[in-house]
Amino acid sequence: MTALASLDPTRDDKVRAFERLKAELSAKMGPASLTVEGALPTAIPEVDRLLAGGFPPGVVATLEGTAGRWSLAAGLIAELTRRSLVAILDDGTLYPPSLAEAGARLDRVLVVPARKTLEVARAVDVLLRSRICRLVLMPAIALRDAIWSRLAMLAHRSGVLLIVMASRAGAALSAAAEVRLYCAFDRAIVRGKRGLWGNFAGFDFCIDLRKHKHIPAARLGTARLRAALH
Amino acid sequence: MLLCIDLSGEIPEPEQWEELLDALDAVSPLIDDVRSGLAYLDMHGSPGGASAWMTQTRTLLSAYGRVARLGVGLNKIAARAAAHVADGSLCRPGSEAELLAELPLALLDIEPEMIERLTLLGIERLGDLAALPHGPFVRRFGSAAARWHELAKGVDRRPFLPRTRTVAIEASIFGEGRAVDEAQVFFALRMLLTRVCSDLERCGKRAGALHLSLELEDAGTVSYDVPLAMPTAAERTMFEMLRAKLEGATFEAPVVGLRIQARILEEGGEAQALLRAVDFDPAKVAVTIARLEAILGESVTRATMRQAHLLEERFAYEPFSLDKRKVTPLQTESDRGSAEESRTAVPQLRLLEVREIPVELRAGEPAIVDRQAVTQCAGPWRIQERPFVPAPITRDEYDVVLADGTFARIYHQGAHWYLRGVYE
Repeated sequence: MTALASLDPTRDDKVRAFERLKAELSAKMGPASLTVEGALPTAIPEVDRLLAGGFPPGVVATLEGTAGRWSLAAGLIAELTRRSLVAILDDGTLYPPSLAEAGARLDRVLVVPARKTLEVARAVDVLLRSRICRLVLMPAIALRDAIWSRLAMLAHRSGVLLIVMASRAGAALSAAAEVRLYCAFDRAIVRGKRGLWGNFAGFDFCIDLRKHKHIPAARLGTARLRAALH
Repeated sequence: MLLCIDLSGEIPEPEQWEELLDALDAVSPLIDDVRSGLAYLDMHGSPGGASAWMTQTRTLLSAYGRVARLGVGLNKIAARAAAHVADGSLCRPGSEAELLAELPLALLDIEPEMIERLTLLGIERLGDLAALPHGPFVRRFGSAAARWHELAKGVDRRPFLPRTRTVAIEASIFGEGRAVDEAQVFFALRMLLTRVCSDLERCGKRAGALHLSLELEDAGTVSYDVPLAMPTAAERTMFEMLRAKLEGATFEAPVVGLRIQARILEEGGEAQALLRAVDFDPAKVAVTIARLEAILGESVTRATMRQAHLLEERFAYEPFSLDKRKVTPLQTESDRGSAEESRTAVPQLRLLEVREIPVELRAGEPAIVDRQAVTQCAGPWRIQERPFVPAPITRDEYDVVLADGTFARIYHQGAHWYLRGVYE
């Protein structure tokens, strides 16, 4: 009522009042009350907290940005390959030893060599329909809105999580994606001295949750994370 | 009584030998296939005597253009000794030791080095060996010597191991018209699979693979080997696999004949879903892989790790299969443990297509890489692969952080710098 009572005919005041109302409602919901049912956890506490338990199944999610997105995906792959299969559509850049280092079982990762746009789309279609994997990871490709919608619908029906690795999601993908995470490099961690006597122990990066089908916009947050080499 | 068939003079090819053994089934259904060219037939309860058995065998072998030495005895060594002494002879029960006494040690099927060693000690015939005191001989030559000693005396405790019967399960259709579209081919496939599956069920078998042959109107033949994820007798699974295999295939001429063979036949049932700790269905996986391969024209793979210094050689890809030896089927203790634990993110290297990049050095370190300032640098690490060949691969690798936040692995090889990958 307080928010409604303070409504002013001018547009700026309306916007301010709306923002205040959103904040009040978000605060009432309480941070602990939200958990996504059947979420696929990454077992990385900061990420799971940010995503209210993990990635929701049956959606299209994007991991955008540069450094950190594959580190995040590797955690999820490691967790899912404990009991399931995971499919990765490889454009030739996959480096399996890194995945193994993150704890992924390589014997349960299907590496699908698809490079052309049509091949990728058809392979994802087959994988989503078959439901043999809990997670399908694909590179970002230029597809029409209708195809992204179709893949999103297939993911929803099959309950398979489809993650698209994109530097920056285009308009069509952004619309189809129900979870969007943006990763940004923060700083490198150097162990020892610079040069010959030093080596990189990993890097810090920030994750910005930009969209989530179950989390209201006002509660989308960020997290800082460290990707550390063992 | 055992009948020994010794073709040592002309050892047949494995396929011919199998064919011969199948034919010998008419003489006795119990055949111990020792090796290509040597087999024993168990003649207990067979009508006729030794000479009748040998005549029948000889007639059968001559149909295949084969001449063998035949012998009959109470056990394997006696039958073999009889065949060795004279083709068509019989070793009477109780006279084994006497018959073996003059025969060479080679009859024991022991290594030539051992025969040479025994010969140096003056043991040239089986009779010499049989005359040795059992205890000291075994103490000197080990436990295997106990068996040689017994064999030399005509005592053969080696079990008779009948060869397993080869069951051929197949179904075919020819001369029933021509199929010009895939629906007709699939209809015929379903019909053949019904027959194959009912035969499998009747024999209590499961097929581990299928072989499909399509005969075309222009006299061409197209064949497909279709491995199944796990042995099955389920018609639907087999049909899905065959359909997936044929997806995207085009033929030069209409199909006029089809043949399906069930291969890698195994006994026993299939693992039930309730008892499996993993949540994927092997049959569905196999069908999906076949579909993907039909679309991509390439194998769906899995990565395996291997020891190497160069980054790109530390892994290899192999076709993905649900081979029990290659997929961990059950949740292990380590899995259960890790379920409780939290992880830390691990940097992932992404291999880029190797390209040469301009690099400027300052104080011996990369300062500008690909026109970007280096903010942090670690290295070099000298990597040498195949150091013993005339031109080994020698590289100096560096990890660099560039001004735009790119975290990259670069290397210096020869006079050039290359970008190998980026950490993401």
